[in-house]
Amino acid sequence: MSAAEKQEKKEEFITFRYPRTVVYKHNLGYQSKFAHALKMGRILATKCPVDGRMTIPPRVVCPMHHVKQTEWVDQGQRGKLIAVFKINFPMFDSRTGALKNWENPIVAVELEGGARIDGWCSETDPSKLKPGMILEAVWRPPEEREGKAYDILHWKPVE
Amino acid sequence: MAERVAIVGVGQTVTKSKRPDVSTAETCAEVVEAALADAGMTMKDIDAVVTGSMEIADGYHNPDKWIIPELGAVGKSGFELQNVGTTGGVVACAGFALAASGVFETVLCVSWQRMDESVGAFGRGGGGLNEYWTRQYPMSPITNFARRTFAYMTNSGCKEEHLAMVRVKQDQCAMKNPHAQLKLGLTVEKVLESPVLAWPMRYLHMCPSSAGAAAIIVCPEKKARKVSKKPVWVEDYFTAHQGGGVTMAEDPSASTLKHACRTIYKRRGITNPKKEIQAWEVYEPSSSAELRWIEEVGLCEDYTAWKLFEQGKVGIDKEYPFNPSGGVTATNPIGATPIIRVIEVALQLRGDAGEHQIPGKIDRGLATAYGGQGENVVMLLRRSL
Repeated sequence: MSAAEKQEKKEEFITFRYPRTVVYKHNLGYQSKFAHALKMGRILATKCPVDGRMTIPPRVVCPMHHVKQTEWVDQGQRGKLIAVFKINFPMFDSRTGALKNWENPIVAVELEGGARIDGWCSETDPSKLKPGMILEAVWRPPEEREGKAYDILHWKPVE
Repeated sequence: MAERVAIVGVGQTVTKSKRPDVSTAETCAEVVEAALADAGMTMKDIDAVVTGSMEIADGYHNPDKWIIPELGAVGKSGFELQNVGTTGGVVACAGFALAASGVFETVLCVSWQRMDESVGAFGRGGGGLNEYWTRQYPMSPITNFARRTFAYMTNSGCKEEHLAMVRVKQDQCAMKNPHAQLKLGLTVEKVLESPVLAWPMRYLHMCPSSAGAAAIIVCPEKKARKVSKKPVWVEDYFTAHQGGGVTMAEDPSASTLKHACRTIYKRRGITNPKKEIQAWEVYEPSSSAELRWIEEVGLCEDYTAWKLFEQGKVGIDKEYPFNPSGGVTATNPIGATPIIRVIEVALQLRGDAGEHQIPGKIDRGLATAYGGQGENVVMLLRRSL
């Protein structure tokens, strides 16, 4: 096969990059109250009037019963550990797309008020974290809060 | 009244990690040509085309605009769908519904994924859930199943060795499937030696990055009987897209699969799924998912499936011939994966599965799709009506 023939058979690829930063500005609607409470250091959940189930993030309507959820319940600052995992490889940060190392394990916490929430744990050794352990919210300073999940810096095991 | 419909043609790629030899549209054309040949049809026979991939993982939008022309299907009625990992499932169900409507005589369903072309795009999905909340966490299939599996092991007594047994069984099945991607000759020891990604999920427990496609052709009963000697009948289907926002609040290991299966079983009068359904192809993106899904489809009690593996009861020629193709942990071109499940069940019902054919009479099979944080599609197929 000639060099020209070889070149013709070679696969070609086209690569796209999109260097412009796109800013998405989504309206939170009913969840605005929840985001505002996070900035104040409080965790709120909506409560279903039919079975009392709490939802985080809050919803206008109960997903199971199709009724309006008008009651907001403060979930407190502590909860019980339900599940935990630690990421052992450089994984993307969903907010930026950048790969990063995740030193803090991710925990699922059942709050005093009954709702469940995800967060990061201050204890970096996941083998020291057991289901049922009590964890407490540690917040970022008020001036750093943005009404987002990472306003809670981490969840700290209570001695 | 809706008409009864059947699958009369199937086509799937030999899925690989990379396909530098073909474009996305050409990958789709491969399986469309295969499905048309299987049905003894040409593109002239097709009335409508339903397409879909998990767009966020492919990195482009509205791909039907350039894929349909390359299939030679311009001018047909077209529908494009997507729903995270269940995309192929909603594509198939939409095809079933269109064929049953009486409006279309022959419907082509095509799904694909080319993850080799867009490494990293998956991360933009935000876990397929709430844009405001879930997107803030580093959610991926690996972290999703790490949490699920932690909860499963906490509740069940299942150990890492049992997860490894599941992975070995999946590999043994994949070794017999000519379309499977990973054929690794695994042992329990090899699985347990693989690196931890997010405990308890090890590298070998997770599905691969895949490039592949799948297609089926669906017809109403009159046409199906005319064109096919081995029509595979669509008995029922259900799409459960409530997602993890509902189910995981109660049990982090649970999905909507149990709800979807219970709904279908009730409608069809199925009281003993182990006896009344002989072929299972259930979308398990990790070895641990297979354990929970065996329970959620009703083959055993919650948190006991690991015991079936300990007792050596799961395999192509065993008491529980679950996922004889090797499943999704061996092969996962995401958008196409649910249609591959449908095709694999169809092959079992037709007796065309070759080396991974389940022995004995196979009259009814169940295929599923899984996606996001707990979405499911369940499709029930029959050899005879």
